[in-house]
Amino acid sequence: MTIELDQREDGELIGIILQAAGRGDFETMARTASEVSEMTRNWATHIPWDDLAALDGADGELARVVEDLTEMWEPAHLRNPVDPDEEYALDKNAYDFYRPAGRNLLTRTEDFYDWVQARRRTETWQYSRVLEAAPDSVAQITNDLGRRARGINFNSQDYLSFNTHPAIREAAARAMHDYGPHSAGSPMVLGNTRISDDLEAALGDLVGLDHVTLFPTGWAAGFGAVVGLVRQSDHILIDRLAHSCLQQGARAATRNVVRYEHLNVEAVRRHLTEIRATDSRNGILVVTDGLFSVDADWPDLVTLQRVCREHDATLLVDVAHDLGSMGPGGTGVLGMQGLLGEVDIVMGAFSKTFCSNGGFVASRSPALKQYVKMFGGSHFFSNALSPVQTAVVREAARIIRSPEGDVLRDRLFTAIHALRDELTGRGLTCMGEPSPIVPLLIGNEKLARTANRLLFDRGVLAFMVEFPVTPTGSSRFRLQVQAGHRPEEAREAARIIEGALADSRAYLSSAFGSAPR
Amino acid sequence: MQMYDAIVIGARCAGASTALLLARQGHRVLVVDRASFPSDVISTHFLWPHGMSYLNRWGLLDEVLAVTPAHTTVEVVNDGIRLSGSVPPELLREYFRDLHGDDSGVVQSYASVRRRVLDQILVDAAAGAGAEVRTNVTVRELIVEDGQVVGIRGRGVDGEPVEERARIVVGADGRNSFVARALDLPKYDERPRCTFAYWSYWSGFDLGPAQLHRRGRLACAVVPTNFDQNMVLVWGPSEWSREFRADVPGNYQKALDFVSPELGEVVRLKGTRQERIYGTLDQSAFLRPLHGPGWVLVGDAESAKDQCTAIGMTHAFRDAELVSAALDGWLRGTASIDEAMTGYESRRRSQNAAAYHDYVCTLAEMRPYRHDELQLFVALRGNQQETDRFIATHADVAPVSEFFQASNLFLLNDAAKESSADHPVFADFAETSRMYQQNLFA
Ligand SMILES: Cc1cc2nc3c(=O)[nH]c(=O)nc-3n(C[C@H](O)[C@H](O)[C@H](O)COP(=O)(O)OP(=O)(O)OC[C@H]3O[C@@H](n4cnc5c(N)ncnc54)[C@H](O)[C@@H]3O)c2cc1C
Repeated sequence: MTIELDQREDGELIGIILQAAGRGDFETMARTASEVSEMTRNWATHIPWDDLAALDGADGELARVVEDLTEMWEPAHLRNPVDPDEEYALDKNAYDFYRPAGRNLLTRTEDFYDWVQARRRTETWQYSRVLEAAPDSVAQITNDLGRRARGINFNSQDYLSFNTHPAIREAAARAMHDYGPHSAGSPMVLGNTRISDDLEAALGDLVGLDHVTLFPTGWAAGFGAVVGLVRQSDHILIDRLAHSCLQQGARAATRNVVRYEHLNVEAVRRHLTEIRATDSRNGILVVTDGLFSVDADWPDLVTLQRVCREHDATLLVDVAHDLGSMGPGGTGVLGMQGLLGEVDIVMGAFSKTFCSNGGFVASRSPALKQYVKMFGGSHFFSNALSPVQTAVVREAARIIRSPEGDVLRDRLFTAIHALRDELTGRGLTCMGEPSPIVPLLIGNEKLARTANRLLFDRGVLAFMVEFPVTPTGSSRFRLQVQAGHRPEEAREAARIIEGALADSRAYLSSAFGSAPR
Repeated sequence: MQMYDAIVIGARCAGASTALLLARQGHRVLVVDRASFPSDVISTHFLWPHGMSYLNRWGLLDEVLAVTPAHTTVEVVNDGIRLSGSVPPELLREYFRDLHGDDSGVVQSYASVRRRVLDQILVDAAAGAGAEVRTNVTVRELIVEDGQVVGIRGRGVDGEPVEERARIVVGADGRNSFVARALDLPKYDERPRCTFAYWSYWSGFDLGPAQLHRRGRLACAVVPTNFDQNMVLVWGPSEWSREFRADVPGNYQKALDFVSPELGEVVRLKGTRQERIYGTLDQSAFLRPLHGPGWVLVGDAESAKDQCTAIGMTHAFRDAELVSAALDGWLRGTASIDEAMTGYESRRRSQNAAAYHDYVCTLAEMRPYRHDELQLFVALRGNQQETDRFIATHADVAPVSEFFQASNLFLLNDAAKESSADHPVFADFAETSRMYQQNLFA
């Protein structure tokens, strides 16, 4: 290897060749080219290094060479910068702003705000859209730039279409008439009414557990159950993808949190054995969702509950999305697995199928019930569900249990199958199992944000989820189906979505599709 | 006229490996390169453990290790926050099972193998396996019949014409791929922002395992390589390249001194530079279509990206295994060409691959680390398992999306054993960040 140290750097040589080309000085071009390192020659094989002297400008050959050399000497993006707003909006995710810099809590939020504004300006901000009228299988909405759109609505959580159901509306009106709109206190003080007790009983009946506590939101129920029960020396094993209220409850309750691999019961068994090997004194709470709201799959609860019992651990299952909308008699994933009355703690939310705010925690233990009411702060220190909300949920629970509930679930699943089949048939990837949530995997955030922008005007309302709802690089559209969706609507929506995706891919010139890993 | 099963254009990481594997499977392969070996190509030639594992799977690792220093831990220092770790073997095994269906040959070590060493080993192995290797042959034309690529025309070192035909032509001819140009293939997912990179080879010191340092918008790496030398690399945002280029040796040292004064001093006082300084600004990322009638692309030809995560060679090996497995099925008649190519494509264009493409491209912009990112590095200290997983993620062994998910990141932050108080970069962070935005070479 004989290499001279003072040889000129390749970039400089290319600069000289380019200048010579400008003068038509082929002799200098050729002489300088012979100095270019072997490394660069073997890499930039599109440049005819050996033939520079022979170029004479015929057939545009010289022009092409000059263009290739220019690209090496001064790449295109240094010459023509792109729209910085769009670049900023399509890059980055919310986590990039989780730890703001600085000691002033007010000013340090500004970086995040700039990013949100860039996304607003480029219409890639999927949040904070508002409804212009009652959401049905079709809805009219306005985005936060004030632009209005109307479309087939896969963006509302109303799985059994109760929002337009006469009996539900009637129940709300009656409660309004009887009690007024109040929420006049914490349920521990004077917030509950007689129908709150009825509702607790109806829910207990639905999940097969006698002791039910109501919470003002589903989030409060999940968070309250975990922080109410778990203390710092206890342990929590939580499915990596369990709902945020449970994750945050876990983080607030103890540092001993293990996030186990999604749905992996064997991993739970392993972790339980490890914990019990060194700690036989403290409690262990194992936490999972029933139907996972972003992946649309569910765990083997039978084995999970058994494994918990074997290690004296307690299982908590969040049935927010499946209760009412699936399973025999609307009993959700628990009913599908023959586990009614068998799971230690069940919590849920009313916001998906029951057409209202609120949530609940249920178990077989009156002591647990009383304890969570006292020590889950979100029960004691929040005002109760209002009577109107309570009455709506109670009526919803009644319909869910009735033969009409079966009819509605049948309709819902017909629409679900139509949507999934049509999307899959178009080569797109639906994740999970048939359920009211149809996650359409996109992956790349840029692609999802651009498709989201295009979809707005094309007659489909669909919510795009990305970090922190999904891990980075696995964004998706979460389509929430309703019993009121006609199968033709579902198919039409799939066709429109495919078009928007294809156009976004073309816009970004992206080769990445929605292929699974 | 002789008829090959496959003609491979380009005889380096992607090409020689593809030829080697196809020849071992018993196919008739011709591989051509316009270069003659041993020779270098622009590349700082660091191989992550999965890159080394491929070599081991193919039985070539011992030959590499006989002349190349290897280690298992790397040091990653970001704005003074030091992390040290290894890619976990179980993640490596998972990687191979997921991608190739078997996890044989996994090794945990990495090395930096000079291309003149490595590419020679690969070319010899391909020849040894029965592939016909012709160097000094430049392909200048693809033979296309009825819309199907059926062969190549070119010329040898003395200008003699070469013409050969095969059932498939594999473009392994690098980022400026002749095959792609001849077929007029578009580029997708282009990410023009990238780094400028300048490096050279130094003797006179031995710092042990590889070190990667980053401060503000600049970075440097020192990695032991062949011939008792160190590859010393500096890189930064290409927006600054014009000014950097005004005085390459001076700014090279200046960058080292800025990013790591300790390293800068070692290089200045103990080091002897053995070669010229090499560099490039032309590293924008892109993807190309993967296959078409009679042709398929592998390595940089199908997807080039910035050097900042040092992954291109390993990806070239990955492509070689994927494509040779796919072509083998087709050449044996157990799969149609469409099935074979769709299988190859689905792995190469998977969600994980897309997420990693974004990861590299975003990193290549070399924006100064934000407070939260540095905080994450602090949080990782004292958590070896997650540090290792982070390194594996960076190296494309573990999926980006499994590390960067909310519950993981928030939990890491909550469980951090150290606070930012121990690291000077946080002291006057806003001021420091502003300073980092200034072009050091202007
Ligand atoms: C600055 C820089 C630093 C890098 N550092 C690293 C690193 O540390 N680690 C890492 O893993 N990767 C690194 N890479 C990436 C790595 O170099 C590439 O990904 C890798 O070389 C790709 O291998 P390949 O076989 O696809 O192409 P190449 O290595 O480019 O090989 C292509 C071959 O095709 C031949 N060829 C081209 N056209 C013709 C023709 N018409 N006829 C005949 N033959 C032809 C060429 O002569 C050449 O030998 C770096 C890249 C750059 C630019």
